[in-house]
Amino acid sequence: MSADSDSVIDRLLKQVIGGNKPDSAIKQRHTELKRERLVRRLSQSALLTIIGVLLFASLVMVGFWREEWIQYWPEFTDALTQYFPPELYFGFLPAIDIGRYYQFWVEAGLVGEAGITLAIALAGTIMGAPLALLFGVLGNERVTPFPINFVFRGIMSIIRSIPSLVWALIYVPLGGISPVTATLAIGTDTIGELGRLLTDELEEIDDGPIEGISSTGAGKPQVITFGMITQIVRPFIAWSMFILENNVRSAVGLGIIGAGGLGVTLSIEQQTFKFTNMMATILFIVVLVLSVEMVSQRTRSYLRGDDDDEQSSLYDRIVGLPKRLSNSLF
Amino acid sequence: MVLRVENLSKRYNGTTALSEVSFEIPDGTFAVVLGESGAGKSTLLRILNGLTEPTEGHVYIDDEEITNSRSDVGMVFQQHNLVEELSAYSNALTGTLNRTGFLRSLLNRQPTDEKELALEALETVGLLDAAGQTVSSMSGGQQQRVGIARALVQQPELLLADEPVASLDPSSAETVMAYLRETAKTRELTTLASLHQVNIAREFGEQFIALKQGDVVFAGSREELTSDVLERIYGDIETDELREETETEAASEAIPEADMGIGVES
Repeated sequence: MSADSDSVIDRLLKQVIGGNKPDSAIKQRHTELKRERLVRRLSQSALLTIIGVLLFASLVMVGFWREEWIQYWPEFTDALTQYFPPELYFGFLPAIDIGRYYQFWVEAGLVGEAGITLAIALAGTIMGAPLALLFGVLGNERVTPFPINFVFRGIMSIIRSIPSLVWALIYVPLGGISPVTATLAIGTDTIGELGRLLTDELEEIDDGPIEGISSTGAGKPQVITFGMITQIVRPFIAWSMFILENNVRSAVGLGIIGAGGLGVTLSIEQQTFKFTNMMATILFIVVLVLSVEMVSQRTRSYLRGDDDDEQSSLYDRIVGLPKRLSNSLF
Repeated sequence: MVLRVENLSKRYNGTTALSEVSFEIPDGTFAVVLGESGAGKSTLLRILNGLTEPTEGHVYIDDEEITNSRSDVGMVFQQHNLVEELSAYSNALTGTLNRTGFLRSLLNRQPTDEKELALEALETVGLLDAAGQTVSSMSGGQQQRVGIARALVQQPELLLADEPVASLDPSSAETVMAYLRETAKTRELTTLASLHQVNIAREFGEQFIALKQGDVVFAGSREELTSDVLERIYGDIETDELREETETEAASEAIPEADMGIGVES
């Protein structure tokens, strides 16, 4: 009997202690979780506050708060109606007067200007790309031993840190503010941008082909050419297309400082307050840049090997065109 | 040619990959290096090819010491190590790089007999029709045969193969090994292949060298490679499995016309 009652007490004790144990464990965990959440919330709000302060300070720096807002607003709305001239079609349907844009495109010979812009971008890209390849390869540690390869990487970094607009200014004594200067500037910029991308590509290539070529007893230039460069030919073309897209935009920008092409037209129309013509030029730039982007995107997706157009029928191609266009662009 | 290895050792930051390995392979022999993964097989072959430098020891081919990669030592890799972007033909042609100047090789202006040599090598491995095909679009077995072709174009006297069939399915493995043996025999090449599948090794090897943790634990002929020896090479864990395998192997060898499908260890 006494043994039995002992065990009963034991059981009761166990129940009390055992019953308490999970409870306190849960409570403890709960408190921990609460504390963690509090810390997280505090750090989140701290981060938001910092971002807010940064924004405020920056806006103060640029003089964002000014009374001219009210003064200039009517001028801006006035400009808007010139950017997008309204017109009643068929006497009742209000829309933008596209005819006026078209008139300016023809009048100012924008196709020719676009040709110059495109030529600047193309010439710059094509001249810069081989040099970018050279610098990219020489910047690789497997090709050039450690401290020396950073000379080439350093040169590319310095080139990149200077915007193409500034490169154009640097080249002005050589060719004045002209398409020639713009081409040189874009070529230089391409070395820095494309070279950097190729350096990254070269970091990720397989060792296998390099060893394979080495094992045949090939010389170092041959190992570099056949073992390494063959592996980045596709990325090289793909990235060159990407850089070309950027270069077309840069070429427009260089035009604004007077280096020729659509940018020049744009700045002239803006300075003479012909806002409709200016918007017409901007729309033409959009068309040009989007066309180049589309060609580039198609080329790149083809190089990536996910182009399945060849298998699709003519019907599929026509029906799928809008979707492919939107995929290419956005 | 005779391959002679003397006291070869390789240590990587304290770990020993090979310790004082010595052996000799007679002219025209198809030799196999056996051993578990990590036994030092790859290290040995890479040193023989000059891709890795030994810590100590020497390698001689007909009494001439090997110190770097050369064209008379051909190498076939487990992962093929081909230039996947190029065609089978262009890959085979890279076997001539050692004899061709940089510009000539860059512009693909090798002499005609060199180009014919490349096509001949592709024919030897049964890929003449696929010569123009891009390597990346080929199967693993085909790629490995292109690898053999490249090694052959080097006109080697010693052929090294590092786990040539480890990443292939059983039937491709059989084909590749058959081509390897066939070529080695017709061209009278001294061949050294590292293999971890005992059954394939027994089928194709004439002489065996077994490594365990960097030491040579066995060197001898096929007859001397008994299950007791295998136990010594592979330790106790896998022994039962291996013994079973070798016994079935022996049984199938007893029947001349038996279909000898190769079971790949998983």
